[in-house]
Amino acid sequence: MSFTTVFRTFAMLLAIFAISTTGTPTKSFAKSKFVFANSSPYDTLDPHVIYDVGRVASRLNMYDGLMRWLDNPPKLTPWLAESYDISSDGKKYTFKLRKGSTFHDGSPIEAKDVVYSIERILALKKGAFSLFSKSLEPGSTKAPDAHTVVFNLKKPSSIFLATVPAIHVVNSDLLKSKEVNGDWGGVWLSKNEAGSGSFELTRYDPAVGFQAKRYANHFMGWGDKYLDEIEFRTVKEINSRVLGLMNGDFHGTDGYLPQDQVKRLAADDNMNVMEEESMRIFYSIIHNGRKPFDDVNLRKALSYAFDYDSFINNILSGSVARNPAPVPNNIWGNPKDEKGYTFDLEKAKEHLAKVKQPIPEITIGALTGYGQTEQAAALLQNGLSKIGVKSKIVSEPWSVASKKMRDEQQMYDLLWLWRSTYYADPNNWIGEMYACDQIGARNNSWYCDPEVDKLLMEARVEPDQAKRAANYKKAAKMVTDDAGGIFVYNTKWFGPYNKKVKGVRFSPIGNAQEMRWVHME
Amino acid sequence: MVLIINRSLWFVPTLVGLMIITFTISHIIPADPVAFFAGENATNEQIEELRARYGFDKPLHIQLINYLIGVTQGDLGVSIYTQRPISEDLLSRLPATMELTFMAVLLSTVVGIPLGVIAAVYRNTMFDHVLRVITVSGLAIASFWLAILFQLLFAMELQITPLQGRIDGWGPEVITGFFLIDSIIAGDFDSFMNAAAHLVLPTLTLAFPAMATIMRFTRAGVLDAINSNYVLYEQAMGFPSRIIIWKYVLRNALIGTVTQIGLVFGILIAGTVVVEAVYDWPGLGLYAVEAILNSDYNAIMGFTLITGAFFIIINLIVDIIQGVIDPRN
Repeated sequence: MSFTTVFRTFAMLLAIFAISTTGTPTKSFAKSKFVFANSSPYDTLDPHVIYDVGRVASRLNMYDGLMRWLDNPPKLTPWLAESYDISSDGKKYTFKLRKGSTFHDGSPIEAKDVVYSIERILALKKGAFSLFSKSLEPGSTKAPDAHTVVFNLKKPSSIFLATVPAIHVVNSDLLKSKEVNGDWGGVWLSKNEAGSGSFELTRYDPAVGFQAKRYANHFMGWGDKYLDEIEFRTVKEINSRVLGLMNGDFHGTDGYLPQDQVKRLAADDNMNVMEEESMRIFYSIIHNGRKPFDDVNLRKALSYAFDYDSFINNILSGSVARNPAPVPNNIWGNPKDEKGYTFDLEKAKEHLAKVKQPIPEITIGALTGYGQTEQAAALLQNGLSKIGVKSKIVSEPWSVASKKMRDEQQMYDLLWLWRSTYYADPNNWIGEMYACDQIGARNNSWYCDPEVDKLLMEARVEPDQAKRAANYKKAAKMVTDDAGGIFVYNTKWFGPYNKKVKGVRFSPIGNAQEMRWVHME
Repeated sequence: MVLIINRSLWFVPTLVGLMIITFTISHIIPADPVAFFAGENATNEQIEELRARYGFDKPLHIQLINYLIGVTQGDLGVSIYTQRPISEDLLSRLPATMELTFMAVLLSTVVGIPLGVIAAVYRNTMFDHVLRVITVSGLAIASFWLAILFQLLFAMELQITPLQGRIDGWGPEVITGFFLIDSIIAGDFDSFMNAAAHLVLPTLTLAFPAMATIMRFTRAGVLDAINSNYVLYEQAMGFPSRIIIWKYVLRNALIGTVTQIGLVFGILIAGTVVVEAVYDWPGLGLYAVEAILNSDYNAIMGFTLITGAFFIIINLIVDIIQGVIDPRN
């Protein structure tokens, strides 16, 4: 290899570099195309396998359900169903389907598709399965005619209706033709879609995201302002999402960015940051089933030892709303007059003095990669040290914590985390977090108070919402008085969008990712 | 030839050893991928049933044996998250990582070797000192931070490179999966330029520490060779210094550098985990990050297997090249 050869090669590479950089094509979007940068990967498109908020866009935009949660506070709205009826015993739910609704391949949406969809959820045992596993038996849902679906519940349920939006209706004929070895078309549906939603899939790459075009024949019809195309791309890094938004690569990104990034975007002339109170409460589980945490005085001491104001106003810059009870502020059933606990070390010491059992070093759990949980753990540790209680912080990934949470022995003494919205009913929070029948599953506090449990069980079957609300309010106050957990705040959503983006509708269930009302100006 | 046969015989045992280590480590971590995948709303019965469906209820050694049997039959298992075969997910992402890694190796080699030679020839001059600062920086600066700096400077401030991604839009029709090659095959010059532009920042980020390593090794090798007797003889014979350096010294000095390039290749593949995350590069690195965070065991094993095999092959090639360039052969 001569020097000349090396030099020429080097020069050639530099030339390619120079040409490629100066030749960077300017980004140009069609006016009606919207690009969203998402933090979660779209590793599958199957609507019955996933049920997280991070990947909700593929479900909301390409699939419809009988009912839909809209706006904030969320309102349950008939969607593919034009009407519904609940039997007097609360066990039979009958839905009448709209006529003329079609899947993306043009075939009509019929009751058999709804039946197939719920049977598929029950068979796969993934995604939203847990919402229906205790209320529906496989084979119990019937289609007496093409436009009537009847859900026959095992026992009366007042929360079933709230979970119906999770039944995303798939094209049964299409999926049956794609089944391989009894997989319910799972492999095919992971990379394709069989829906009827406002947008139909045009391109998908698990490593990149998905692209979809407007479905002109959607049953809801279209006004004169809409998007022709949507694209949801996976962008893992927060900084890359923010820079991409400022750079014009994207038109929107997730609404739970750190506050410094929200402020950075809000200061940009091309950005519009929307603000909504969501339904995602931040709290610390206390292991009520373990000694000495079964003593209410110790739990109260812990609750008084946390500096709520510093956490909310200093660490989180006031970007959240104080939520002192295990029900979000903005849903019915929240005890509005509940003030909760304040940071009061004197009261903490008073309660601590009443604890008869020896207090060991307390293990405070936090989630690795979720800075707020680690900050909250450190703040609580600081408070505890001031009242003479030793503690240690154990920060572990969610995949580890989610295992320990289900094991009474392995569970941390305390664990900081959020409770998200799976369906907008108080049962989603207090009804699962503190019900005796959920211990070890969704009740990770091992809290079981007969009186609270009675209120929660009644609320699960009581059809009258006013009566249910009264039960939840009373139960929430009792759990708070009992210091069943340390309840801190309800999340606010700060949705950053390019100023050209109009018509965004936020709902805590979908986090504003349903695009059918969005348009570009 | 003996070397190639010898190395090839070690290929399978090395990979099996790698898989056993990775399998053991990934399963010893007290994570529960099924509980994680099923979600916080899942019932315990649901989790147990899913665990049995995916074979996670079996003893660890049985799981390992089943996995190894599957691998011998070309079955890397199924991801519990995507429901797709791991091999399908890996193959769809491999070209993106390979394209980036090849470009980084090419850039670091083509820049690193000449600069290393020049630094040795002009040792202890200002030029050498400046290069030393650059190489130390290359080794010391974290790729994550460097990537963000590059984004802020080139994409945001100067606006001469794309910020992230592999191409605007969805790229040319996939033939090889290498966008540069596919766009040439398709005769699509715009896509070629677009893909090349997107490669610039990730390549620079990935190549910078590798270039520093190669430069240091080349410099050391050249300095070592310059002081040998045969160079003294060639100088006494009146050979021009250009010929001595680039023809005789470099050939000897490169033996160590070539070994280093092989190692650098492996380091670069590992480095893509960070670089791909920052630049949103849809390759194996990003896939590995997700797999680790989700404790998706089959995906972790698949990634390890494919990168391990690649690393072994590259080092075999390096051994062959060494044999070719070694003047003593």
